[in-house]
Amino acid sequence: MENITTLTSEQITKDLMPQQFGRNGKIWVAILVLICLIGAYAYYLQLKDGLIVTNMRDYVSWGIYISNFVFFVAISLVGSLITAVFRLANVEWSTPLTRIAEIIAVSAITFASLIIIVDMGRPERLLNLFAYGRIQSPIMWDVIVITTYLFISILLLYIPLLPDLKIMGEQDTKGPKWLKKFYRFLGSFWKGNPAQEKISNKSITILCILIIPVAFCIHTVTSWLFATTYRPGWDSTNFGAYFISGAFLVGAGAVVTAMFVVRKMYSLEKYITEEHFDKMGKIVVLLALLYLYFNVNEYLVPAFKMKKAEEGHLDELFTGQFAPLFWFAILVGMVIPILVLVTKKGRKPLPMFITGIMVVVGAWFKRYLIVTPTLLHPFLPMTNVPENFKHYFPSWEEWAIALGSLSGALLIITFFVRIFPIIPIQETITQQNEKATS
Amino acid sequence: MNEHTSTSRRDFLLAGFATAAAVGCSDSTNPFTPEMAVAPSGEKVKLLSVTGEIIEVDKAFLKPVPDVPQLSNAEERKGIPGKKFVMVIDLARCKNLRKCQSACNHMHRVHSGQNWIKVLSMQDGEHTAPYWQPTTCMHCDEPPCVKVCPVDATFKRQDGLVLIDSDRCIGCRFCMAACPYSTRVFNWGDPGVTADVADQHYSCETSMPQKKGTVGKCDFCPDMTRRNELPHCVSACPNGVFFFGDMNEDSVSNGAETFRFSDLIKDKAGYRLMEDLGTKPSVYYLPPVNRNFPYESGL
Amino acid sequence: MKKLHHNILKLLVTLCCFATAGQTANAQSDSVPATKIIRMHYYNVNNSMQYILLESQLKKEKTFTPQANKTYNLYLDSAANLVAMLKTDKDGKAKAFIPPTLKAAWEGSSQHTFIVKEGDEELVSDYVITKSKIDIDTANEDGARVINVSVMKMDNNEWKPAAGVELKVGFERLGGILSAGDEETYTTDSTGTVKVTVTKDSLPGNEKGIITIAARADDNETFGNLLAEKNISWGLPTEINTHFFDQRALWTTRFRTPIWLLAMAYSIVIGVWGTLIYLIFQVIKIRKLGRT
Repeated sequence: MENITTLTSEQITKDLMPQQFGRNGKIWVAILVLICLIGAYAYYLQLKDGLIVTNMRDYVSWGIYISNFVFFVAISLVGSLITAVFRLANVEWSTPLTRIAEIIAVSAITFASLIIIVDMGRPERLLNLFAYGRIQSPIMWDVIVITTYLFISILLLYIPLLPDLKIMGEQDTKGPKWLKKFYRFLGSFWKGNPAQEKISNKSITILCILIIPVAFCIHTVTSWLFATTYRPGWDSTNFGAYFISGAFLVGAGAVVTAMFVVRKMYSLEKYITEEHFDKMGKIVVLLALLYLYFNVNEYLVPAFKMKKAEEGHLDELFTGQFAPLFWFAILVGMVIPILVLVTKKGRKPLPMFITGIMVVVGAWFKRYLIVTPTLLHPFLPMTNVPENFKHYFPSWEEWAIALGSLSGALLIITFFVRIFPIIPIQETITQQNEKATS
Repeated sequence: MNEHTSTSRRDFLLAGFATAAAVGCSDSTNPFTPEMAVAPSGEKVKLLSVTGEIIEVDKAFLKPVPDVPQLSNAEERKGIPGKKFVMVIDLARCKNLRKCQSACNHMHRVHSGQNWIKVLSMQDGEHTAPYWQPTTCMHCDEPPCVKVCPVDATFKRQDGLVLIDSDRCIGCRFCMAACPYSTRVFNWGDPGVTADVADQHYSCETSMPQKKGTVGKCDFCPDMTRRNELPHCVSACPNGVFFFGDMNEDSVSNGAETFRFSDLIKDKAGYRLMEDLGTKPSVYYLPPVNRNFPYESGL
Repeated sequence: MKKLHHNILKLLVTLCCFATAGQTANAQSDSVPATKIIRMHYYNVNNSMQYILLESQLKKEKTFTPQANKTYNLYLDSAANLVAMLKTDKDGKAKAFIPPTLKAAWEGSSQHTFIVKEGDEELVSDYVITKSKIDIDTANEDGARVINVSVMKMDNNEWKPAAGVELKVGFERLGGILSAGDEETYTTDSTGTVKVTVTKDSLPGNEKGIITIAARADDNETFGNLLAEKNISWGLPTEINTHFFDQRALWTTRFRTPIWLLAMAYSIVIGVWGTLIYLIFQVIKIRKLGRT
């Protein structure tokens, strides 16, 4: 990072200021908004007619809404990894990535809670969860822990943002007046005096410690939504660890993808360096190996025994109708990224970007494979039901809503990048000053 | 005639007959509803007794099926005190006629295409014998569906029944995922009940009217048992496959035959489905031996 | 096997009646004629209460459809003695008590014919019931419990034994009578009695051990439905165990959450949210420090 040390604080501030959307940015936002609107329309149809507009039926009673929910929860875990784990371990190079990770976490967890409401047959009765909440149900655990995690993530995004908000508020750049007011409202009280810094540092440390168990809880509890049932493919003691390792992988993949895009769009080559990619690449390899390990556990052990209830499910995954998707998720989501990223050339920005996308896409389908095939293999035979109850392929409304939610999450990230500095300005300056003096 | 003098005796007799149970069970409807189960109108009618005396009876009994008092949600959630309902399904008698299913669907206005009772074609192993297995809700004593419900919308009562409050259900479908017997159905769209039923106040005991976006399932017809009658599937089956009763009375009946429950289970080696899961179902099966019908007759 | 002996008077009357408004709607694919069926059941309960249950159905091919909201007139012996004007409910059923005004007619004969008319049309004219009574007596014979049931019929104003009446004798249970002996049913002998030795011991009764004995004849051709009941303390005193329902378990309601779960949930929630609230105060503190 020698190149950074040569920069002045003014230069850093100028480089890291959020910039207005260019032409590409505007097209990008327009496309996302369009997809969101289509999703909103599909949800309107669903509200009007009920979940009948989906292709979920009595056997496959959870479809891509739930797998999408699991995906969002998974990806949100990265906030705790990059920010908290690295900070506590004094990993200094991660500074430019912390805010990217945190905003991915916040937007993902927001849409996780929205998509779970979409999946409800009676969304207008959401408040029943509070009026009649029953703590024995893992759903209640999920409700509590998601709320908590969202709150912690926002705090962890906000407190380190304070110094930058102050800088933003003071900048006399062009830009709408309300935005300035907004910055001032959020952070004008930050003076950067030692007393404030002391409290802020302490708070951030507490948050970093707190977020790790909560993050583990959120995804473990999500895995328990499945593991607390008897169904083949879900009835597994491995599930919590399996879900968490998968979550760290997809989150890291998402950060890699995002840091490539941000770097390209804002020309931040000086701040997000090839060294960052190299290090993130190694982390992705480690996480992918870890996830692969849990996958082997998850599939090899039951496949070795081939209990009758598991047999139909595993056969469908390994060689049956879900086989292409299953092997796609394993190869594209884990094996190929490992093979690419173990080489030094593979950890250059562009191949990293591509493998990042592969990891994320593979992970999305992996969640689908965790949810749906199991439901198609109940203990008792599927009879006395209409033929379409025995299959599942999402309807266009489900696709539209799922894609809409993904676009929505991307929109939140996009607007955040537009409004706030995606790389912490003050921290970068401080870190650089420390380096210069040492 | 001398009705005033014999009033007390008549009252006594009335109380006697009113608590009477199960007359004419060959007819699916029991003409006598226990007195405490009836909503009395308060109005008395005079009538002629067998011996030509004049006795008085509450007007409510003039209806072929007297109305039972409307229960509050709290009472419906508590259940019938002193009861513990149990069902026995004799697999040796089933030939997949599915009269149980059609009666159930009709009486509960189940959405067409969906069924609360399913008759499964079972074959446990390659060389084992095929048989027909009707499945209802198992009304487990360790109900996995109730465990996971976040809002107490499905609950277990003191009489052993697992019922659903469709006015509270949020439609998360966790119970459907949790049930290993795949017994629960969901109202994905409008349940398609007629206007007169749709306007009724929802009752957990009749499970009617079904509501969009909520879960439904077999309820063991507690509204029938309150009147001392058998569930619809039991009385609809022409082969007497289903037996229903009260574990606390140690007896089960299919209307025509009544057995001591403990003897029946012992003599015919009754068993429950998926005992290894620890769900403790309230439905017992009698193995398909010495069958009344060959399996093929049900195809 | 379950055999439902409907020794009922079935009357197949008037063919092809698509007349009724309610039926014309689903007067189905024409041609196949529908048959009106009226079933009659007479009930005598504990030799006191008596009534008639009428069932009205429409038979088409093999399906029976209950006829709701039909009005019939029920007469005793002749058109002069109106018992009741009946209107069937949604299940096609209606119930009639014999009014005190017919006391003379009822006491005048030991046999009675019930007549059903729809308007002027006579649908049922040969449903004949002989007056009868049924009594239960219990005894202990050489340590064995015995139930004696006697059925008497009215013959020329005298009670005489009714032989050959098929009865269920046993204990009243939900949905049926649990036979006290080894037979499913018993038939009265020439003295009009059956003697049943109780083989089912220690059946659960109520908390005092009271159990109800019942003897019942179902749709007897001569006497209709007869039921007699008697409470006796032959049962096993049974306390209803509500412990199962009252326990704290994972499947109970939110008011009976297991303590360990509550403790875990609350300690985690309070711990985490306590810290978060502390942190919010820290933010407020930073804010205050900035203002001064």
